Amino acid sequence: MSATVSAALAKALEGFIIREAKLADEGQYEAWEALWADDAVYWVPLRDGDDPTQQVSHLYDNRRRLATRIRQLMTGYRYSQLPISGMRRLISNYEFFTEADGRYRVEANFFLPEYSIQSIHDFRIWSGRYVYTLSAKGDDFQIHTKKVLLVNGTEPVPTMAFLI
Amino acid sequence: MPAKIDYHELIQADKIHGSLYTDDAIYEDEIEKIFYSSWVFIGHESEIKKRGDYITRDIGRSSVIMVRGKDEAIQVIVNRCQHRGNLLCNESQGNKRNFTCPYHGWVFGLNGDLLDVSYPGGFDKPLNELNLEVLVTDSYRGFVFASFKKPTVSFDDYLGHGKALIDRACNMSPNGKIDLKGGWIRQHFDANWKMLPENDTDGYHVNYVHQSFVRAIDSQYGDFVGAEDSIKGVIKNWGNGHTEIDFAPGYTKTLDWLGSTPEKVKSYVESMTETYGKEKADQMLYDGPPHACIFPNLFLAEMNIVIFQPTGSNTAVQWSTPMFLDGAPELDFKLLRQSEGALGPASFLLADDASIAERAQIALGAGTPWCDLSRGLNRETEDSDGVKTSHMTDETSNRGFWHHYRSLMIGVRS
Repeated sequence: MSATVSAALAKALEGFIIREAKLADEGQYEAWEALWADDAVYWVPLRDGDDPTQQVSHLYDNRRRLATRIRQLMTGYRYSQLPISGMRRLISNYEFFTEADGRYRVEANFFLPEYSIQSIHDFRIWSGRYVYTLSAKGDDFQIHTKKVLLVNGTEPVPTMAFLI
Repeated sequence: MPAKIDYHELIQADKIHGSLYTDDAIYEDEIEKIFYSSWVFIGHESEIKKRGDYITRDIGRSSVIMVRGKDEAIQVIVNRCQHRGNLLCNESQGNKRNFTCPYHGWVFGLNGDLLDVSYPGGFDKPLNELNLEVLVTDSYRGFVFASFKKPTVSFDDYLGHGKALIDRACNMSPNGKIDLKGGWIRQHFDANWKMLPENDTDGYHVNYVHQSFVRAIDSQYGDFVGAEDSIKGVIKNWGNGHTEIDFAPGYTKTLDWLGSTPEKVKSYVESMTETYGKEKADQMLYDGPPHACIFPNLFLAEMNIVIFQPTGSNTAVQWSTPMFLDGAPELDFKLLRQSEGALGPASFLLADDASIAERAQIALGAGTPWCDLSRGLNRETEDSDGVKTSHMTDETSNRGFWHHYRSLMIGVRS
């Protein structure tokens, strides 16, 4: 069973997600990575309902692979994000829940304009739904899972080497 | 009428003309001469296991349906109602008893036969005059190929040495069968389709395009970083445009290609040994799967299967799916994660290949004519079968691609 959360808690969770989005938009890779818990799952399936043990995803990172992803971005040779895309994502239509295990589930829609400048200088729109599992960590929160449901994940999509 | 395109001038022994990647007339010409006139890869039988299962694919400007019929036979049918041209299937996969057109309700059987026309009072042609267009189809070890026109070369002649490459892929399974059930990632490229097969059997770019990967990740590819004479892998032109990077001579231990060890995948090693015998299984587990392109649109990408789809002179789509091994489901999770790591828009490798290909597309658009293709002409060797082999970084593979391409575009078999 899940229950909705208090207005104060919702505000705090929203503030955390806004901060996470800003770090991703700005390529503050180490600060972004520090938000993740040890049991991290960063997941972009092709479509909602896919089973990651049976079906291929755009990405399905555990904590170790997420660290590799950040390490690669920081080498200075990740050509698909060199220089980093211009990004300013909007997150809205939030829903907040408390799960039986005490963790928080936050769902929200996102709209992410990307100015891709590594090759053809293309203005792209990414959109979909974020599903987070978060928990309290000291005065702050940490991310256990972030599932990104693209509206067009089963279609041909261009390079997505940035943090979505 | 545009002037006739002189492919002998554009594709020479040691260089190719940049317009081959950018010219719309050349693109239209290759859709006609390659994708509509000879064998192309469509899909794998394991994608349509049950009667009525179908998938759709795009070949040239056409959508086609690959379907398993009521008699289990697999056919490839043009996805276009013969009445007024509507798409019969808009989904990428599914199961159907027949194909009913949403426009006026015409019903076609799974074999393409026109079965029923609604309000037949106003239509007096024989139904069999308007059956769906069925492609010439053949298959090898479940890999289904088709041709819109009656091909000028037999399927066996077309595949040639490609058969041995497909064998090497399928034989990684203890049952000799692969299963493409993991779904397809599709990655959009703002680059000409020919850069995909070229790049995928280019052993020269790894240290450069994938420098971030090499620096961030400890993998078997790290073994290839070093002085020129320390690289042991080889490049091959198998003929008919089929090309390969054979990494096996560069591997240093069994299962290097899987990033694993016999202890970690014990049951897989045991079932391989049971099927093939110890000596042969040991060799197969050392050499690993092929890294090879089957002209024009199939890539046996080690433990993945890849399709190249041209969508315009300046755009293409690369499809990728993990190559699951029948009889070794314990590898599925690892293969899924390896596929995502290597291929697709968010991967550690192909994301960078796409950006670099797109940069090439921009530069080629300037019209500066020539791209050099001479690397390795001074040292490649040719065996009695015509198979050419050279240092892994040599352009033997790309010359193989282009010179076969030239023969198809001219209309003369090389």
